[in-house]
Amino acid sequence: MFIVGLTHYLILAAVLFCCGVFVMMTKRNAIGILMGVELVLNSVNVNFVAFDRYRPGGGFDGQIAALFVIVLAAAEAAVAVAICMNVYKNLNTIDVDRGDALHG
Amino acid sequence: MFESFWRPTLTDLYWFSPELALVGTLVTLLIAPMIVGRSSRNATWIVVLGTLVTILLSWKVGGDVRSAGLSGLAPPEAAGMLILDNMSVYFKIVLMVFMLGVALLWSIGSAKKEKHAEEFLILLVGSALGMILMAGTLNLLMIIIAIELASLPSYAIVAFNKRNRRSAEASLKYVIFGGISSAIMLYGMSLLYGLYHTLDFARIAYGVVADLQAFAAVDVSSVAQSVDASMPAAQNTVAIGVALACFLAGIFFKIAAVPFHFWCPDVFEGAQIEVTTWLSVSSKSAAIVLLLRLVDTFSSATGAFPGGASLSALTGLAWGLGIVAAVTCTWGNFAAYRQNNVKRLFAYSSIAHAGYMMMAASVFVHPDSPLDYSPIAAVLVYILIYVFMNLGAFGVAAMVVWRSGNENIDAFHGLGRRAPWLAIPMLCCLVSLVGLPPFAGFIGKIWILLSLGASGGGLYWGLVIVAVLNTLVSLFFYLRIVKAMFFVDDGQESFTPPISGLAMVNVCAVVLVLMGTLFIEAPRRKAEFYASNLFRPAILKGGMSHAENAAIDATQGELLRLTEGVARIEGERNRRSDRQAQTP
Repeated sequence: MFIVGLTHYLILAAVLFCCGVFVMMTKRNAIGILMGVELVLNSVNVNFVAFDRYRPGGGFDGQIAALFVIVLAAAEAAVAVAICMNVYKNLNTIDVDRGDALHG
Repeated sequence: MFESFWRPTLTDLYWFSPELALVGTLVTLLIAPMIVGRSSRNATWIVVLGTLVTILLSWKVGGDVRSAGLSGLAPPEAAGMLILDNMSVYFKIVLMVFMLGVALLWSIGSAKKEKHAEEFLILLVGSALGMILMAGTLNLLMIIIAIELASLPSYAIVAFNKRNRRSAEASLKYVIFGGISSAIMLYGMSLLYGLYHTLDFARIAYGVVADLQAFAAVDVSSVAQSVDASMPAAQNTVAIGVALACFLAGIFFKIAAVPFHFWCPDVFEGAQIEVTTWLSVSSKSAAIVLLLRLVDTFSSATGAFPGGASLSALTGLAWGLGIVAAVTCTWGNFAAYRQNNVKRLFAYSSIAHAGYMMMAASVFVHPDSPLDYSPIAAVLVYILIYVFMNLGAFGVAAMVVWRSGNENIDAFHGLGRRAPWLAIPMLCCLVSLVGLPPFAGFIGKIWILLSLGASGGGLYWGLVIVAVLNTLVSLFFYLRIVKAMFFVDDGQESFTPPISGLAMVNVCAVVLVLMGTLFIEAPRRKAEFYASNLFRPAILKGGMSHAENAAIDATQGELLRLTEGVARIEGERNRRSDRQAQTP
């Protein structure tokens, strides 16, 4: 019989992480990049919760860490979207390649 | 059911009072506009008072730490969640002094036409709170919360000038790079948590050292026996490598070490000059102090094994950190040479200085070996000196930029004639940034080189050579500003800068001269003291074996299961009484 174990959760998290990194590297739109960041953060949550569930001895700290990561993701998204709005007002685009006033 | 949970006593809260004072400052800043009306003058006074109270409280708490020993602000099982030791007290005081300087600079500059003074200062104080927490924790969860608390206000404060295109673009780059790096750092943390079943970095470091040692000793059986027998054999060195690399990436981003430095020049150029001043020292030094703590945890973990593990297990890590430091330093100095914009130039200069500090941070010292020149003390002195150098240099640059509206080096032309009391402190700060006597920058660099040389080994001698060559390179781009000030004059009119700004930059210059000549030893001895007696959880003192450690885990689990059971019974009872209440 097929039993879902720790490995399967880890594979799911790794796939999510790779998708997130791929999105971050290929997207030109700032909101798109932020969506990639959210994917990576969700893979982190899957990891934390799965490791916590399958850890010897039990305990809550992984799940609590996942809760904090959710809060951090929300806070970061709020700040990032506000900054995107501001950029759109100033530059009329949120394409990260079009920001060329600073030559970095 | 809450008897089983740790509750802070008044004494615990007293240890935490500097942070609480900063939180109080934040709340006062929020409430004050409703009571006394919005004005940037009131807001500045609140911040100055709050900062002074924080400094006094840290001073007092620091004195008690000395007499009462060390304190982790948590129950013993979770030691390292919040750490109070000499190093964290030192960093609090230095950062608060720097924040006073930045607030002063802001109040004589942008504050006059700023309508949102309270919001600006809230973001400033909020990021300071995050940086203070970064310097005092060894717990993965607290580390990420502290880093985010330092970062999120920084993203917003860079975008504070809303109508400025460049500042909008800078903040977008900052928030995207920052978001990516913190996400990757979190992934590394989740892997570390999975490998060692704990968020406590001390235990993670212990496990990493054990695993790496077992890996290194695969064919040397005598060393293998000294490894704690209950540790699983090392199969996961790849996982450890990936996890640590991801984890360190987040810290390198805050330091702006080389593969993660792209945000630094753009953000520094786009932000207001006061914000640039703040970010140039604070975010980097907080991350460096965090790195110092992590490195110290690793190296003291080697002393915790029964047979005494050797540092050779950590050679890879030391080489990694050392190479990143050397590349950071070199890159910063060479890239600075081509810059015309003063803020960009100082951005690359700050990257280079972070590289010097990282060099000393990459030294792993065995906890039992006495070392003549402690690298931690060297970095702490360097941070103090760097605060004064940057405050002086940025203060002068800010006053010149406000006057001329021009951020390029040609704004400095003829400054020696136009405003000699700006040009002379600028000269002191620049020569000190290069690291030449008789200024404090020279002394700071010497301590770092001595601590590298004292720890011996090919890597560290290589770093000494890189640092000395870099000092020569940096001479050229700092002297470009000196040349513009004293040897080029295109007839711009002279001006008198604001008196408080003049006082600040001249005080900085005087401090630099004094620390470079009369008081060479005093700051060093102080830092030596503050770097001593670092907080090390019990597991790192060799007092606890891995088995005992696992026992603590098990007890914690037992405790939680008990409380879970109690909660379930209570819930059942509540539901039953609810039903009874509904029946009639």
